Amino acid sequence: MKDSLYFRSAYNDLMKNKGVNVALVVVLVLSSFLMATGSMVMERLVGSVNQLFDEAKPPHFLQMHKGDDDPDALARFAAAHPEIDAWLVEEMLGFDSAAIAWHRPATGGSGDLADSLIDNLFVTQNEEFDFLIDETGAIPRPSQGEVYVPVAYQQRFDLQAGDRLAIRTDNGFQDLRVQGFVRDAQMASSLSSATRFLVSGADFRELGRAGGGEPEIIAEYRLADPSLAADFQRAYESDEALPKNGQAVTFQMIRIINAFSDGLVAVALVFVSLLLIAIALLNLRFVIRGTLEDEVREIGAMKAIGLPHKAIARLYLAKYRVMTFLACIVGGLLAVIATNLLTRGIQANYAEAPPSVTAILVPVLALGLVYLFVVAICRGVLRGVKKIQVVNALVHGSMLDERQTARRAERQARRVRKTSLASYRGGSISRRLAFLDLRAEGGQWVLIPIVFFLATVLMTLPMNLLSTFESPRFVTYMGAPESDLRADLQFSDDIDAVREDVLSSMQGDDRLTDVRAFANVLYETQGEGWEILRAEVGDYSGDTVEFLQGERPEPGQIALSVLNANKYQLSTGDKLTIRQGGESTAIVVSGIYQDVTRGGYTAKMQGEATTGAAGYVIYANAADGADPAAVAADYSERFPVATVIPMREYVQQTLSYVTGAFRSAAVLSFVFGVGVAVLITSLFLKLRLTRERRKMGVLSALGFSIGEIIAQVRGRTILSVAVGTLFGLVFAATAGESLVGLFISLAGLGISNLAFLPYPLLVYVAFPLILIAAGYFGAVVLTARLRSADKSGWLKG
Amino acid sequence: MSHDDHVTLESRDLTKTYHSTDPPTQVINGIDMSVRKGEFLVVMGASGSGKSTLLYSISGMDRPTSGNVFLEGRDLTSLSDTEMSRVRLTRMGFIFQQAYFLNNLNIRDNILLPALKAAPKERETAIARVDALLERFGIAHVGRHGITQVSGGQLQRASICRALACEPSILFADEPTGALNSSMTIEVMDALTDVHREGTTLVMVTHDPACAARADRVIYLRDGLLVDGRELGTWSEEQAMQREDALLAWLRKMGF
Ligand SMILES: Nc1ncnc2c1ncn2[C@@H]1O[C@H](COP(=O)(O)OP(=O)(O)O)[C@@H](O)[C@H]1O
Ligand SMILES: [Mg+2]
Repeated sequence: MKDSLYFRSAYNDLMKNKGVNVALVVVLVLSSFLMATGSMVMERLVGSVNQLFDEAKPPHFLQMHKGDDDPDALARFAAAHPEIDAWLVEEMLGFDSAAIAWHRPATGGSGDLADSLIDNLFVTQNEEFDFLIDETGAIPRPSQGEVYVPVAYQQRFDLQAGDRLAIRTDNGFQDLRVQGFVRDAQMASSLSSATRFLVSGADFRELGRAGGGEPEIIAEYRLADPSLAADFQRAYESDEALPKNGQAVTFQMIRIINAFSDGLVAVALVFVSLLLIAIALLNLRFVIRGTLEDEVREIGAMKAIGLPHKAIARLYLAKYRVMTFLACIVGGLLAVIATNLLTRGIQANYAEAPPSVTAILVPVLALGLVYLFVVAICRGVLRGVKKIQVVNALVHGSMLDERQTARRAERQARRVRKTSLASYRGGSISRRLAFLDLRAEGGQWVLIPIVFFLATVLMTLPMNLLSTFESPRFVTYMGAPESDLRADLQFSDDIDAVREDVLSSMQGDDRLTDVRAFANVLYETQGEGWEILRAEVGDYSGDTVEFLQGERPEPGQIALSVLNANKYQLSTGDKLTIRQGGESTAIVVSGIYQDVTRGGYTAKMQGEATTGAAGYVIYANAADGADPAAVAADYSERFPVATVIPMREYVQQTLSYVTGAFRSAAVLSFVFGVGVAVLITSLFLKLRLTRERRKMGVLSALGFSIGEIIAQVRGRTILSVAVGTLFGLVFAATAGESLVGLFISLAGLGISNLAFLPYPLLVYVAFPLILIAAGYFGAVVLTARLRSADKSGWLKG
Repeated sequence: MSHDDHVTLESRDLTKTYHSTDPPTQVINGIDMSVRKGEFLVVMGASGSGKSTLLYSISGMDRPTSGNVFLEGRDLTSLSDTEMSRVRLTRMGFIFQQAYFLNNLNIRDNILLPALKAAPKERETAIARVDALLERFGIAHVGRHGITQVSGGQLQRASICRALACEPSILFADEPTGALNSSMTIEVMDALTDVHREGTTLVMVTHDPACAARADRVIYLRDGLLVDGRELGTWSEEQAMQREDALLAWLRKMGF
């Protein structure tokens, strides 16, 4: 009985104010939708990663290695370490992307994988752990002539089972049939720089005999206690005899990398959702207060017949409960669809987690929190009912008691005493009026600047983040000079000869200037035991790299990446002991720079790019008029073992995993920001205009035209919008930047001091103009109908 | 068109239908009326008979559904909203039951507002005229007060000042004493009589026979139709009681 009363009251109320309620529900739906989607994507990601880890049993520690190695040393090490549960050495053959072609006999379609920058490693299935898993979760074992291709390639090149793969060896092509696709727990993340193809033992031996592949190994270990992986890594790295020419990765790192690259989307969604919830709450507050003011007489009457204030508040709350509840349901349902779309990539790369309780529980919990929070805020605003006094409400239609009324009159009197139209010169009287109103009623209008402030922040931050990561100048966060071209030479037997070739042709090429070679040299340094320290040795003169602290290394000095400096707790001027070939030296840290490459752990030393290094990087600038892309293509052709690409493309490819997420976030928040801005402006003006009817009627009677009255409303709107947008921009450029910077530095990418590299025209000109236009659009739509109205009606209402 | 020099305002076959209701409400059903120059005309009728609607239709606040309104020979129904606003600003004054002042301006600024808007170039004259009005209606001392700080009578006198600020040729008043007690009513009616004596044309809607008795002529509305009118002649203090009695008798005949 009582419930049905509440429900009927809520229903009537919803119908009475359709436009406003619809706008509120839309904002609430958007908020709950994003919140649910964010939480579901996170849950699925964690579930999928865990599922794949369960099936594939990745190693707890692994060390990649190119070049000669000593199998006995590995066996000795394993024997000496009882914490090892199982271990293996996986042999791999690396083939260049351009050396792998596919064709489809059914249709005659064909192509190659040359567009891919990552390493293609051919392996056989492991026996004990670190399995490659097929789409059903089984462990496939290809027969001769069959190959299993990474799912990432399946998506990227649209491959199908039954396609043929041709691998170019030194002895012609080896032809394999694509039998299926495999997921790789170790190399699943879009961050990974390599991927594995599965072939039979016979084909593997055949590929090795034919030549053209680059042999590589991974030493892999499963530990009895995976949490000791870091200690184990130290033990491994301090052993001189073990192979170490390549990346070393722990179990935990694989997990973090996976979560980070694909979890960013989820984090961005939750961030956008939080801002939207803030906007929704501001609106609710505004609408509820307006309703209470409008219905103060009814409330007074209810109080007069003895209804307790709590019951009255509940009556009003019913409506917002219904609205929020509906919004959460609708948002949740939409989120199911969106999540399925968003997680398609995750599902393919990792695994389909079996349906579980948490998959339902997590979004329901998130939505439940949204619901409770929104209702709690509504309840708080409705506490205003308690303060309404029967007499004042019924007689004066006022929410205030005598003292408040008197104080308000006092304030108003003081204000109007000071203004005088008589002494005001210049400008139209209409504009003056709009300004005075805005000054006096700023409190009512404050919703608009706040909403536009939030909308601006919402739109600007993801966009700035995206433009920063997309900027060619981002190389300064990659510890690289701002040059036009980058050539990457990975370790191979004849690497020094190749390097000589590439370097001398580049230096002799008049399309290129400022050619510099850097050698990747492995040192060891004293952490908790001896650990690997990768240094790029070369010529750093001419301030090519930006330093966060200190300056470039002189001979005999070293510069460290932020993460290395933090790891060894060193700052500029401190000494660091390094060791190579058993020979230790102490060198001075000259400076610290930001670097996201190689996990963020790098170092730089001034010197000759000596021979015998693990790899080389050559940077060059394009001479005036030369096209870096054309030059790069030219060199790639001439030197197939070298990866030569324009710097811009290098940055793009290396960071594609984050820029993809940031782009989605930027697009999403742009659409939502503008949409919400229009919506809220309309909602606000709808309520505001009903409240200003009396005043508009008076102005009209006095001889103000509808055009002028509308212009006043639009003027006030634009001004409020502009103020909010301006503050939003300033905030985003200052505190917002620091906030995002903090988030990025906590993410452990190797950036500790992020400065946005924005598209200034877009962010500081187009965005504010678009937002102001959005506000103006709302104002135009809402004021348009004033023209046809009977003005006398405004005086009656 | 025919134009009698003595007629300031004229309506021909005026109708007004509100389409916002279902079915539409036809409130004015074809009214021909004229207001002579310098006349004090009172419109009476039962509540809901369409008095306010008539007033707003002939003053250009609302657009009539059909028919024409002429002000000094000019057809108001053909004007654009901007032109009509200009007419309201410079040729018309309005007084309402409630004073309806802008609460972000003090009393004097409220009155100055139309004057400064009408003649931004002649500020000094406008200011002097408004200050003279404040003086004349005895509210100069509250000019800088906020609108909540003065009495209802003072506020309604300020309304009259505001209506006169642009020296209009015609003044419209919709129950200007409807919300006032009897002493304040007399205060305000004296002021209006004064304005009329100075030569301003006045059209007033009222329920109060005592107020109506001050008019030169009274017309009576029933269901949106003009049913009758009565000439009262020029008002004087001495004949007030007689005029009121005669008017009441007539009104009773009308079914008031
Ligand atoms: N904006 C409107 N929409 C619909 N009906 C209206 C509107 N304004 C007035 N009316 C109706 O027109 C009739 C006459 O109203 P009004 O002119 O205010 O009467 P009076 O002033 O004589 O009391 C009333 O029945 C009223 O309900
Ligand atoms: Mg009326």
